[in-house]
Amino acid sequence: MEIKPFTGQPISVLAYDGSPVTNLDSLGISKDEYLSIYRWLVLARAVDDRGYILVRQGRAGFYAQIAGQEASQIGSALPLTKDDWLYGDHRSQGSMLVKGLRAAEWFAHVLGRSLDPSQGRLMPHGPGRNDLHIVPPSSTVGNQITEAVGTAMAQRIKKRKEITIVYFGDGATSEGDFHVGMNFAAVYGSPCIFFCQNNQYAISVRLQEQTHTKTIAEKAKAYGMDGFLVDGNDVLAVYAVSKHCADKARSGNGPSLIEAYTYRYGPHSSADDDTRYRPKGELEMWRNERDPVVRFRRFLEKQKLWNDDKEQKLLAEVKAELAVALEEAEKSPVPEPMTVLDHTYEKLTPHLEWERKELAAELGV
Amino acid sequence: MATAEVTKTQTQSTMVQALRSALLEEMERDENVVLLGEDIGPRGGVFLITEGLIDRFGKDRVIDTPLAEAGIIGAAVGMACYGLRPVAEIQFIDFIFPGFDLLVSEAAKMRYRSAGQFACPMVVRSPYGGGVRGGGYHSQSPEAYFVATPGLKVVAPSNPYDAKGLLIASIRDNDPVVFMEPKKIYRAVKNEVPAGTYEIPIGKAAITREGKHVSVITYGAMVHVALEAAEIMQKERVEVEILDLRTLQPYDSEAILETVGKTGHVVVLQEAPRIGGFAGEIAAFIAEEAIGYLEGPIVRVAGWDTPFPYALEKAYMPNAQRVCRAIKKSINF
Repeated sequence: MEIKPFTGQPISVLAYDGSPVTNLDSLGISKDEYLSIYRWLVLARAVDDRGYILVRQGRAGFYAQIAGQEASQIGSALPLTKDDWLYGDHRSQGSMLVKGLRAAEWFAHVLGRSLDPSQGRLMPHGPGRNDLHIVPPSSTVGNQITEAVGTAMAQRIKKRKEITIVYFGDGATSEGDFHVGMNFAAVYGSPCIFFCQNNQYAISVRLQEQTHTKTIAEKAKAYGMDGFLVDGNDVLAVYAVSKHCADKARSGNGPSLIEAYTYRYGPHSSADDDTRYRPKGELEMWRNERDPVVRFRRFLEKQKLWNDDKEQKLLAEVKAELAVALEEAEKSPVPEPMTVLDHTYEKLTPHLEWERKELAAELGV
Repeated sequence: MATAEVTKTQTQSTMVQALRSALLEEMERDENVVLLGEDIGPRGGVFLITEGLIDRFGKDRVIDTPLAEAGIIGAAVGMACYGLRPVAEIQFIDFIFPGFDLLVSEAAKMRYRSAGQFACPMVVRSPYGGGVRGGGYHSQSPEAYFVATPGLKVVAPSNPYDAKGLLIASIRDNDPVVFMEPKKIYRAVKNEVPAGTYEIPIGKAAITREGKHVSVITYGAMVHVALEAAEIMQKERVEVEILDLRTLQPYDSEAILETVGKTGHVVVLQEAPRIGGFAGEIAAFIAEEAIGYLEGPIVRVAGWDTPFPYALEKAYMPNAQRVCRAIKKSINF
């Protein structure tokens, strides 16, 4: 399969009905790996469904669903190695799971419990895990882009065979950070993948009101970088393009921009009302005709790798696994109030020591 | 050894030389120390702080960047998370604001939001302050923004010896440091700077001049305005004590209490505008913790609450006369 930048149509491997439109052998993916990819898709969706219910039940304050974007996230994270670095945004938990974040940790993050690697310090946008090289995102759109470039610059300075991937949405491409980050990475030939999940909405503003270019991928041209437009609901296409860009970066051939053309099913977040801005029928069309999980399942069925029995077995297995994960998260305590001052600096400053005494008096401890 | 002989030699240095020697020694000691900024390569920085360093350490460790402060600070954050110790130069602190978001939203909060898993051991060096006919965009003193951001440390040296020791301490510190260099005295003030490595601890103030009647609490280039005022007041038999804070966040509250306890009269001097300025924090701290020592009002001396002017900077900047008037207001209460 030849992967070319700046195509007019999104690069795809599977048609909407799951039949291959390209030679599969060139992907170099084994049957077991196909099954593993499907498991990730199903797991990511199930984790997300479960997480969102926690908000509806009033047990969590916020949630940004990835539903509809699973193929973009799983397909782009699978080519990463353990040593590669991942900068997420508020909608990249699928990629974080592939990188090694445990579902129990994710639930603890949503609930604000101690098992959360970020100890409840962040709205549930994604916790960091240093050992997995997942950097926790802030809520400030686009900031992670220049940071990721700094990490990629450091990887090149240290001559390591590692890369950095950074996730952001279509809205973030309007931020200065996108321009600055793309420019820096191109100038230094940094081993970086700029992965744009174009779900067509920045909260409510549509892509046509966000940018005057037809695609986001073509913006790469202005930086002297390759830009790839890929069908973000086609996990094999996302995998193939991401692998191509990862190999390219790893072998010292610099950064790439990937635009994964996809669609989010949920509102921007649990605090949003998407009925105010979505045209009627649009969501249904994407859900019914282009769903990334169903599409890949159809592919597996066509390849005689999947059937209803296997599906039921997998769903039951994932459900049980997540029940255990949620229980583990819920058992984990809320962080101690006295820890609120910790980690502002490496050590408490004299002023924070004083505040610690004030807080202790307030809490009666 | 010959090198031991060299380290013992003390020479009169400018702050420019002192800062350069701090960078050079730290880069030799720790290969994770890298520099990045605009024009810091062959040009040596517009104030020549990094002169010659690219020849010694190469392009991978002395990185000339595109003209984008958000990129410089953002990249420094990503490098620091990875384990490097970047020292970023912002050409003038007036230009830091495109990178302000990266400093306050990212560098300052990375340790906290990751519950200590990630840190940003980075320094953002930048010349600040007036007196060089720089007008409104090459003269400002924006320390209050940084001091008001938990997670950042803020340092402002007043002389070459302190500048070197504080910069070395800032590079070795595991938290992000905004290192404000008083450009008016980059070359105007000299003192003895040892060739060897030494640290001046972050968070420790110093008594620049001892006195018993009134304390002037200040930092950076204003220390020299305070010294001038002290000479004038000496003729009127008023002995002025000058406390140079050196670090603004975390500031040395013990040293403040000590000098206030000694003199009972306080003037807080800063170059930045008065309203919402750092001097207000010091005044409030003294009012809360040392009201019993006070025999007169805490008086602030600051720049006017206007943007920084070009042609009229002498009328703008705090001077010795303004400090003397404040001292009299405090002691003649």
